[in-house]
Amino acid sequence: MKILVILLLPIIMALLSLLIRNNKLRAIITSLGSLLGLICSISLGYQYLFVYSPITLFNLIYVDALSLFFVFTISVVAAAAALYSQGYIEQELEKRLLTLKQAKYYYILFNLFVFSMLLVTVVNNLGLMWVAIELTTLLSAFLVGFHNTKNSVEAAWKYIIICSVGIILALLGTIFFSYAFLFATGFKSLNWTELMAQAAKLDPNLVKIAFIFILVGYGTKAGLAPMHTWLPDAHSQAISPISALLSGVLLKTAIYAILRYSLIVNLCVGSAFSSHLFILFGMLSLIVSAGFVLVQKDIKRLLAYSSLEHIGIIIFGFGVGGPLGIYGALLHIFNHAVTKSLLFFGAGNIVNEFASHNMRQMRGALKALPFTGFMVLIGLFALAGFPPFSVFFSEFMILMAAFTQNHFILGGALLLLIVIVFSALIYHFSRVLFGEKPKGMATANEPFVGKMAFGFLLVFILIVGWSAPFFLSGLIEAAADVWRGM
Amino acid sequence: MELFIILGLLATAFALVFAKRLSALVGSFSLQSFFLVLLSLREAVRGAHLDLYIIAGLVLALKVLIIPRILLNMIKEIKANENLGFFINPQLSLLVALGLIYLSWAFSSLVFAHQETLVKVYGAVSFTIISLGLFIMVFRIKALAQIVGLLAMENGIFLLASAVSGGMPFLVEMAIFFDVFVGVIILGVFVYRINKLFVGIDIDKLNRLRG
Repeated sequence: MKILVILLLPIIMALLSLLIRNNKLRAIITSLGSLLGLICSISLGYQYLFVYSPITLFNLIYVDALSLFFVFTISVVAAAAALYSQGYIEQELEKRLLTLKQAKYYYILFNLFVFSMLLVTVVNNLGLMWVAIELTTLLSAFLVGFHNTKNSVEAAWKYIIICSVGIILALLGTIFFSYAFLFATGFKSLNWTELMAQAAKLDPNLVKIAFIFILVGYGTKAGLAPMHTWLPDAHSQAISPISALLSGVLLKTAIYAILRYSLIVNLCVGSAFSSHLFILFGMLSLIVSAGFVLVQKDIKRLLAYSSLEHIGIIIFGFGVGGPLGIYGALLHIFNHAVTKSLLFFGAGNIVNEFASHNMRQMRGALKALPFTGFMVLIGLFALAGFPPFSVFFSEFMILMAAFTQNHFILGGALLLLIVIVFSALIYHFSRVLFGEKPKGMATANEPFVGKMAFGFLLVFILIVGWSAPFFLSGLIEAAADVWRGM
Repeated sequence: MELFIILGLLATAFALVFAKRLSALVGSFSLQSFFLVLLSLREAVRGAHLDLYIIAGLVLALKVLIIPRILLNMIKEIKANENLGFFINPQLSLLVALGLIYLSWAFSSLVFAHQETLVKVYGAVSFTIISLGLFIMVFRIKALAQIVGLLAMENGIFLLASAVSGGMPFLVEMAIFFDVFVGVIILGVFVYRINKLFVGIDIDKLNRLRG
């Protein structure tokens, strides 16, 4: 039942956003609803940890620890983004960058977008999963092109077109899987549970071909290089709370889809096949992002390329595998989600204050925006992988996993690329944060709810850095069990 | 009948590559979808199943009639220059298309190695449609060609699903129709915006975001 509540909450909030006239009330309801969704996802997670059996509903919904981990991550970032939106949208309204009508559409789309992401992680039918992922693209496209400027419309167009092509290839892969199932068993089905049950009987060659289509298709949506070209455009042009959702969790829902398929593939042809592909795409993404991060001028594009790096690290972690690698990769999904969201919130405030995306025109953000500046400073070190913040530990686990499995060259390359991105991030951001603020710029007054969003995320960054709480580590271990087929 | 449908699907895929005007492109897509209606009707008669009749009816309504209507209205309303604009000229496009059809056949024989020839042929035709759809998305200048290319790719997938795996589950098929329809509407909105902001719908003008 709780799973239905989690799914229905965003739809109800979208409806309320449509009906309510007062924008402040709409914002508050969205925040409260998102928080309620988060609470439900935590309680559902606890329930799972005690019973340890998947939740199913009408053969349509299948929720196990892997799903619950993603539901939890999405709920955390959605709640933070809803809080941040309150202040952000209000400011945009005051500056007349948005009309009241646009603000209404914003909240409707925001909630529907969250719904579509949650849907991806709970459906059992792989065809419906495809539909849900395509829905995330369609719903977020308007949020990317929201400001209706040349840049944002261009970004939105590329975003829909490239992701739709990618996802059509994934549909082709889906059909290959259904054909393989039909061929092996004589029955028609697209349910993940049934494909898993018969995985050993499927034709290995067909499954390999199908998985390549799935990986390239959903990999486009996950932002894996070389299919990442839409990512920096869309993430930099979207409104900041949406950038956080795109980078923080949307990419991960595509990763989720890939993981579901690779579970079938591993049972059918062994894990070497998928893990080699994962390592290849992971390394490519890391190399591409390191190059672009070095020469970046646009603050939000910089963060977008950093997401490419982290997606690379995550998929590399799954590729390396082993208990440490899988745990590290899953933990990294969560850590990157909260850290990157915090930085996108910060970047959003900075961009608004300086009225530019160009980092060369930004100086002294710490003085112009004391609170945001301070948060960005912490978030920056966290994102770059500095101890004692959470990202450090998950990156460390993945590195250790690579070294303990004798992938010395790969581990060394990973370390080198992380260090390159690390120094580039520190270099770019130190110029933005420190120094004197431009003359005539007053110290900004930051809205309280916006600060709450930062604080909310910071709690997760600090706590998980110290030690993953029972709930999170239990959920990740359970999800890793799903991965190992237990 | 079998041969008629296969040839029709293949011919309309080539017509997409040859089209020089936007309305011709949309017309070819509509015709291609009509052959898919025939295919699903035949399956429906053979299987005597209500679901399949509904699907055939929906393809007819959406892909043969409504979506082409929307696209043609759009062309009229934004007074788009009818010329499609080629990055690769039609003759070279034909050569590429022939190459793609060969590759599709090779790929189909590989994937459906244990199947009868008819399945391989259907597989090859659908891979051809998918790859030619992608081809016009990449090598035609007008934004509308990208929409039609995407729809053609979806047609190819639909063909593959119904020919080799007995179609998608009914619910999934409905959901995909919904997605396609919503997708066309949203892409349409963005075509209007591009037309306004960039004065015309040539996508080679969309080159502001780099690096």
